[in-house]
Amino acid sequence: MNSAWVVFAKELRDALRDRRTLMAVVLSSVVMGPLVLFALSALVASSEQRAESREILVAGLEHAPSLRNFFERNTLVAKAAPADFEQQMVKRQLGEAVLVVPQDFEATLARGDKPVVELVSSSANPRAGVGTQRLRRAMQGFVQEQAVLRLAYRGVAPALLEPVKVEERDLADPRARSAQLTGMVPFFVLMAVLYGALNAALDTTAGERERGSLEPLLMTPASRLALVVGKWGAVAAVGMLIAVLSCLSFLPAQSLMRSETLAALFRFGVREAALFLALLLPLAATLSALMMAIAIRCRTFKEAQASNTIVILGVSLLPLLSLFNDSGEQPWHVWVPALAQITLMGRVLRGEAFAAIDLLIPLGVAAALAAACLVYIARHLRAAATR
Amino acid sequence: MIEVDGVHKRFVAGRGRKVKVIEAVRGVSFRAADSRITAVLGPNGAGKTTTLRMAAALLVPDSGRILVDGIDVAVQPRQALARMGVLSDARGLYPRLTARENIVYHARLQGMANDRAQSRAEQLAQMLELRALLDRRTDGFSQGERMKTALARALVHDPPNIVLDEPTNGLDVQSIRSLRDALRRLRDEQGKCIVFCTHIMQEVQRLCDHVVVVSHGRVMAEGSVEELNRRSGLADFEETFVSLAFGARAEPMTP
Repeated sequence: MNSAWVVFAKELRDALRDRRTLMAVVLSSVVMGPLVLFALSALVASSEQRAESREILVAGLEHAPSLRNFFERNTLVAKAAPADFEQQMVKRQLGEAVLVVPQDFEATLARGDKPVVELVSSSANPRAGVGTQRLRRAMQGFVQEQAVLRLAYRGVAPALLEPVKVEERDLADPRARSAQLTGMVPFFVLMAVLYGALNAALDTTAGERERGSLEPLLMTPASRLALVVGKWGAVAAVGMLIAVLSCLSFLPAQSLMRSETLAALFRFGVREAALFLALLLPLAATLSALMMAIAIRCRTFKEAQASNTIVILGVSLLPLLSLFNDSGEQPWHVWVPALAQITLMGRVLRGEAFAAIDLLIPLGVAAALAAACLVYIARHLRAAATR
Repeated sequence: MIEVDGVHKRFVAGRGRKVKVIEAVRGVSFRAADSRITAVLGPNGAGKTTTLRMAAALLVPDSGRILVDGIDVAVQPRQALARMGVLSDARGLYPRLTARENIVYHARLQGMANDRAQSRAEQLAQMLELRALLDRRTDGFSQGERMKTALARALVHDPPNIVLDEPTNGLDVQSIRSLRDALRRLRDEQGKCIVFCTHIMQEVQRLCDHVVVVSHGRVMAEGSVEELNRRSGLADFEETFVSLAFGARAEPMTP
């Protein structure tokens, strides 16, 4: 195993000397965490801000003094909508819904007829959604007030209007709610690990073939398995380095968060980071072995890159599986590498408990897959050198 | 000493109806003795590289065997490789490592301790005139410099048997001369067994004690340059080689 150590040290040194590639990978993995959180929190903060704002846009409020009176009593600030609001909304320049009041509103209301107001929004413009909710609630309030007044005038108890009272109760605890937003975090971390290990995995296999340095390497008395284990160790170490960096980058990144709600919800402490790493480190080692096993069959770096697209595509499509699947988590999910880790990282973020067996199954699968890949590479090494 | 004994190797390309069998080596036998430089001379595609790869345990012969100092390569490849320094057709270096690191890496894989590997790298650099380049990364090296580094890498464990596949490729006259001197010294002072695969007559004439002419996967003739000239009745070795390798009587001729 001494030669495995020699190979490991050399490959690691070789990988670390490839500064440009390494810097790109490390930077993207370290910066990515804060960036994702920052973007996410900015999004949440702006929607929170709009949800809290008491401003509404109304066209033709001058025709409806009673409505204005209602808005003022409810501390809603009604602003006149721009004249070309329809165009602006279609072009997505206007991120608010607009209430359109007809000229004869007051007269029709006084007559006891139904005046029609329009609530204009565009479903192709998601930002307007928040404003729509607010306007609808405001109008419901007005309608209810009018109804209650009319019933009271006729001597009917207003309670008749509401024979059943509906109360809402939300079971999700703050962590579970935040997981909806931060659910993409495990996916980003996983991709960082994959891309981090990719270059080293290809360089130590297909790259070695392309350079013509594999044949001399096999002419040393070092055993094939020792060569493969050494190479794999180095590739896995690079992948693990990226995993550690990208997980740790989320710790300071939390202070950058602009939404206080999200900051309160996204709980990523030392415990979560440790659990993430417990899941990611074995996976990094396994994915390294898998990428090397695919690359050893390829003659050139480029060819190997193309072949490994399958692995990357597979891993990046896995989160969609749980997204499209309405039935939620299935027991078999923990048996699939990468999917298991994404599922379990999601559980960590939601603060759900999981048993040791949930950690052990993915670990066992990862170990078995890695071992199979290593044996495969060792078997193919000689054929790869001479072909 | 390297003994090649009736070695056959065929490659099967394709599958099913399109299958093609290539007889790369059909019964090559020769003996490369110690304290001698043995040339394996043959045209392109004669089976030189395949034979060499079988000697280096990269390919398993279909039949026949190869012994290195009495060790069967197919049975104990690691022991045989430890007694052999091979400069093969593929001689890629690691471009991000220095020449020294490239050489020391192989030394360590040969089981040498770091100190010895370092001093041996220095020693070989001296011999091959590589000193000035030793601590530079190899990605800027010329072809000749690469070749010398690869040669140093192959010889790093001071093997008793040295197999060189076209080692003068890409070298300038000065370097070829110093390589020849180095090989002669290895032969005379240390009694090494040196096998020199080439297709360049000049090299064979100037350097080699014994010539094995290989063509179409067979040994066509064997002997010293003078013997072969005498046998073919031609004065010029190039003419002799052409007549032996491609001549009308393409029958194997043994002494």
